[in-house]
Amino acid sequence: MNPVILEVMWNRLLSVANEQQNALMRTAFSTIVRESQDLACGVFDTRGLMIAQSLTGTPGHINPMATGAKHFLREFPPHTLRPGDVLITNDPWMTAGQINDFTVMTPVFRGDKIVAYFANCCHAADVGGRVISAEANEVFEEGLRVPLMKLFEAGQPNAALFKIIRANNRLPDETVGDLYAQTACNEVGAHSLLRMMDEFGLDSIDPLAGEIIGRSEAALRAAIRVLPNGRYENEVWSDGFETPIKIAVAVTIQDEDIAIDFAGSSPQSRHGINVVLNYTHGYASFAIKAAIAPEVPHNEGAFRPVQVRAPRGSILNCVEPAAVASRHLVGHFLPGAILGALAPVLPGRLLAGSADPIWMSVWRGQWRNSSKPFMTTLFQLGGMGARETKDGLSTTGFPSGVAGVPAEVIETLTPLVQHRKALRTDSGGAGQMRGGLGQLTEIGCHTDQPWRVTAQIDRTLYASPGLLGGQPGQTGEFLIDAAVRGQPKATVMLAPDARVQLNLPGGGGFGDPRQRAPEQVLNDVVNGYISIEAAARDYGVVVRYLGTPDQLVRLPEHYAI
Amino acid sequence: MTTHPHTRYRAGVDIGGTFTDLILVDPQTGTFAIAKTLTTPGDPSQAVEIGLRELLQQAQHIAPAQIQHLVHGTTLVTNAIIERKGARTALLATQGFRDAVEIGREQRYELYDLMIEHPKPLAPRYLRFDVPERMLADGSVLEALDVAYVERLASELAQHHIEAVAICFLHSFTNPAHERLAAEVLRRVAPHMRLSLSSEVAPAIREFERTSTTLMNVYVQERVERYLRELQTRLTRLGIGDPDNALLLMLSSGGIATVDTAIKFPVRLLESGPAAGALAAAHVGATCGQPNLLSFDMGGTTAKLCVIADGKPWIAQEFEVDRVYRFKKGSGLPVKIPVIEMIEIGTGGGSLARVDSLGLLKVGPDSAGAAPGPVCYRRGGTQPTVTDADLVLGYLDPQFFLGGRMALDLDSACAAIQTHIAAPLKLSIEEAAWGIHQVANESMANAARVHTLERGKDPHRLPLFVFGGAGPVHAYRVALALGSPSLIAPFGAGVMSTVGFLIAPLAFDFARSAHMLVDEMDWRKAARLLGEMRGEGEALLLASGVPQMHITHTYEIDMRYVGQGHEVRVALTQPMLEGQAVGAITDAFDQVYRALYGRLGPPVPLEIMQWRVLSSGPKPNLSLRVSADGCGDAAFALKHVRRAYFPEARGYLDTPVYDRYRLAMGATLTGPAIVEERESTVIVGPDARCEIDAQRNLVVTL
Repeated sequence: MNPVILEVMWNRLLSVANEQQNALMRTAFSTIVRESQDLACGVFDTRGLMIAQSLTGTPGHINPMATGAKHFLREFPPHTLRPGDVLITNDPWMTAGQINDFTVMTPVFRGDKIVAYFANCCHAADVGGRVISAEANEVFEEGLRVPLMKLFEAGQPNAALFKIIRANNRLPDETVGDLYAQTACNEVGAHSLLRMMDEFGLDSIDPLAGEIIGRSEAALRAAIRVLPNGRYENEVWSDGFETPIKIAVAVTIQDEDIAIDFAGSSPQSRHGINVVLNYTHGYASFAIKAAIAPEVPHNEGAFRPVQVRAPRGSILNCVEPAAVASRHLVGHFLPGAILGALAPVLPGRLLAGSADPIWMSVWRGQWRNSSKPFMTTLFQLGGMGARETKDGLSTTGFPSGVAGVPAEVIETLTPLVQHRKALRTDSGGAGQMRGGLGQLTEIGCHTDQPWRVTAQIDRTLYASPGLLGGQPGQTGEFLIDAAVRGQPKATVMLAPDARVQLNLPGGGGFGDPRQRAPEQVLNDVVNGYISIEAAARDYGVVVRYLGTPDQLVRLPEHYAI
Repeated sequence: MTTHPHTRYRAGVDIGGTFTDLILVDPQTGTFAIAKTLTTPGDPSQAVEIGLRELLQQAQHIAPAQIQHLVHGTTLVTNAIIERKGARTALLATQGFRDAVEIGREQRYELYDLMIEHPKPLAPRYLRFDVPERMLADGSVLEALDVAYVERLASELAQHHIEAVAICFLHSFTNPAHERLAAEVLRRVAPHMRLSLSSEVAPAIREFERTSTTLMNVYVQERVERYLRELQTRLTRLGIGDPDNALLLMLSSGGIATVDTAIKFPVRLLESGPAAGALAAAHVGATCGQPNLLSFDMGGTTAKLCVIADGKPWIAQEFEVDRVYRFKKGSGLPVKIPVIEMIEIGTGGGSLARVDSLGLLKVGPDSAGAAPGPVCYRRGGTQPTVTDADLVLGYLDPQFFLGGRMALDLDSACAAIQTHIAAPLKLSIEEAAWGIHQVANESMANAARVHTLERGKDPHRLPLFVFGGAGPVHAYRVALALGSPSLIAPFGAGVMSTVGFLIAPLAFDFARSAHMLVDEMDWRKAARLLGEMRGEGEALLLASGVPQMHITHTYEIDMRYVGQGHEVRVALTQPMLEGQAVGAITDAFDQVYRALYGRLGPPVPLEIMQWRVLSSGPKPNLSLRVSADGCGDAAFALKHVRRAYFPEARGYLDTPVYDRYRLAMGATLTGPAIVEERESTVIVGPDARCEIDAQRNLVVTL
């Protein structure tokens, strides 16, 4: 195929997927989708192979959505589908490994023929069961499981299914509203794709898909071939539920293939931190692409050179009826583990350890002087590890792609009051390049009744590792009324006037901190990114403060090295 | 220009990066004069004075006092931010939230790129302060403002010569009392301090974006005021009519405002130059019977596209300034102000072409800029650019670039394309050059397509209106890629954007947040809100000299399904208000929603979040009288024949080159053709039919 025409049509497909995502976010109801973007959008060929995905989203949704597409096609072969049909499932083992994640897929008809599919995967506000937490022992406790089904049939809503979803849900309007948004955005994508096919006179996009997928695969293989063959190992630890969880990884590079094997990792847990293989695969292949070929588009072709294995029944390949709701708390460690293993062969592209798991918390209670309940899910992000040539990004998610929620939005929807959202001094690991900072947050509730929080957080025990002489970042803290909680992954009942502090971990540093330029250390002190004590202790730079102790305005000219 | 001692003239001035363009028009007759001078970056008002003197000299009989209005757009604000040349600025935030502006959205805007960067806030952390106070979402006070703290802070800031302060407290868009009280205290303690309140600059939910906007406003304020006062002094010295009222500023939204308003809200001057270009496109479109079109302006490093619907450009409520990482969306500082919605793409004449790791051809966003520039400029550039490809394809005349002011080197352009593109892709030089041209066109067309479709417009129905230096060379193919029905290339693309300054009415827009369920409409409250805004608009317009009878108001509401986070904008008509027509409001919402998203949402109630009023003076009635030189027969305009590449012929064709200045109304020609002006060249492909219309626009039917 002519490389110019190919580039043109390829860009068009990417722009179609972005239109799809924009429509999803503009029409969504939950803050999870519209603010935090815990979602994925993509376009698939008639074989169910992913061709293009939208710009943002989370790796934990993208690849599992692609796996989900194959399950849909198996259950609903083309002859069983009609225009206006929309498919749905939230089966953890078929898609994103968490019962809150609904995948919605829509066939695109051109005349009476299916020419493509659009799919998206979003985290729902609620699915019943226990409120999303790590506390369940079986998936059956975690909520309503919707098998591979039709959400709409020939344009008509599947009324029975909608009724069941509503009846099993604490937030039926938000959840159903998002399912409508997930349906509408596929339609917006389909509309644009059909227009594109008309314009280029295409009867099928399969040849185009084949070319794109083939070239992506070849490019990824070429990037792998540059790396020296060998077996590279690493081991990282997550707090776990009751006991720490080990993630052991061996990355084997053999010419133009990469095999990632998680043998030696902890067995599956009795609690909801288990990861299905789909999700393991999602984050493992994300890590490879981000590390060695970020410019290669993410599609079926980018999955192929990467083989992922994890022992059946282990924490990274759990079997039914394992509880899986908080699988991201383990799964988000995988890219860091893989990048750590590959450190010896990735000069110039290194990333020190990051805060890794997003901090997700579910808040419930009642409004003041009212029996009206509220419930909301928040996402918060810690610091990213330092890069070889740049400091780590503060309060920026990695590996997940989700965003935080503005305090004003939280407080408009619930009686929660956020009292603090501040950069956390000294939380970034010291290094020639400093780790990104975590944040200090504090949340109360303007209510007269008890309320509760279910935190799903990690890295309260094991810090983000530094790299090549860089120091680790600070671990996270979960405090209630300034006292540390022993078990951070359980639901906690709170007094009306309680204050909850969620203090997020920072990223690891890169390189010897004593090699950091003294002016940079001074600038960090002036801005309070590091303390004057840490400057002397970790960086060997003695900064003197020349102003008075009670001075509020402290300018750079008030400090000297 | 024919003159009369009592005629009142209007002038437009656009200060760009390289040139300052001016236009002087007699609104009665439509006759006009133009001037172009080099921008004087040290003191941009100097170039304005030089240009005005030149204009007055051209039109010998006009006295400076006859210039009634001088409407002005500038990139000063944008540049001050990009170059970080504003004031040393402090932020007063709600206790615990001074970092909200640095923490931002907590997201990587590129999933796979681990090297991304976030923009630095305009106030460094050491100048951001936590102020004890707290307001709840419903506007009630949880904790009173600590006045003593603000007093102490104010005196310390003053003592250290920090004289620009942004105040952004949580929920101030619902209850601004604490922001106002803090401002009073600051003014009392430090009367000379410049203050911007988030409740005045950008009263809308989401603290990160609101703080960012408020900081930007006060950061550039001193600079903007100094410049505008200097300009007023120069105008007085020149003897321009009434210098206090003559000078008007174009806003990002396309409205125009007085100097006092501009100084109070300088952030609203962002992108005011490009805004004028969009207005000009709307104006020319209307005069040739095309109220709906897509305007396309391509320069050296970027291209800008804007949708004109029903004779008006679209207005967005948010955009980004100073993208720090490869022009990526998400890498800039967010600004929440009404702005003519334009998409800017990192594709221009200077964009670099390369072959990527997949063996595909990529163009931009890296640019050779003005230095070293394209290879053919012979200023040290070695990587091929879009302009080099255009030259190789025969679209540019090496001897007639900028009217012959600059010679281009064809051989070095060919060599660069051969080495960097043709050889690795195993293409011929002309195929490679064509590839660069087409990939550039497609990236512009793609961005335009997403943009138009996202907002429910069909690019197949929008004629493409092109201006700017490089635009006309690419417009024909961009129009084909978009499926545009026609292409309109106006006469004198160089003056085009200054026309925009002269056709904008004096206008002020207002917004109030007030939540209301459509099923439980409080019509009295609605009438009061709209009435208040209408009153404010009227007062400002009257004070600016607009007679009462010429003032008009339009109303809009931002609506959504209860529980959504983003709104759609619905026009509220007088009959809806008077008839208290809930059904009509619902119908209007349904129509907008369906156009955007293909289907309606779930069966839940509708709510109104924002109320908006636009108060405008009369739209100036301007019709430029273009000279009737030239001939209605294209044969008389034929300059010569040049070889140019057309893929339809799989090679070069002998292509007629026409002199635009000799083509008059009624002239028709058929592609392939090249139509040259001093500052731009229009390329037309084989078999396309072109006609010169009454306004001397070149209209290509596709």
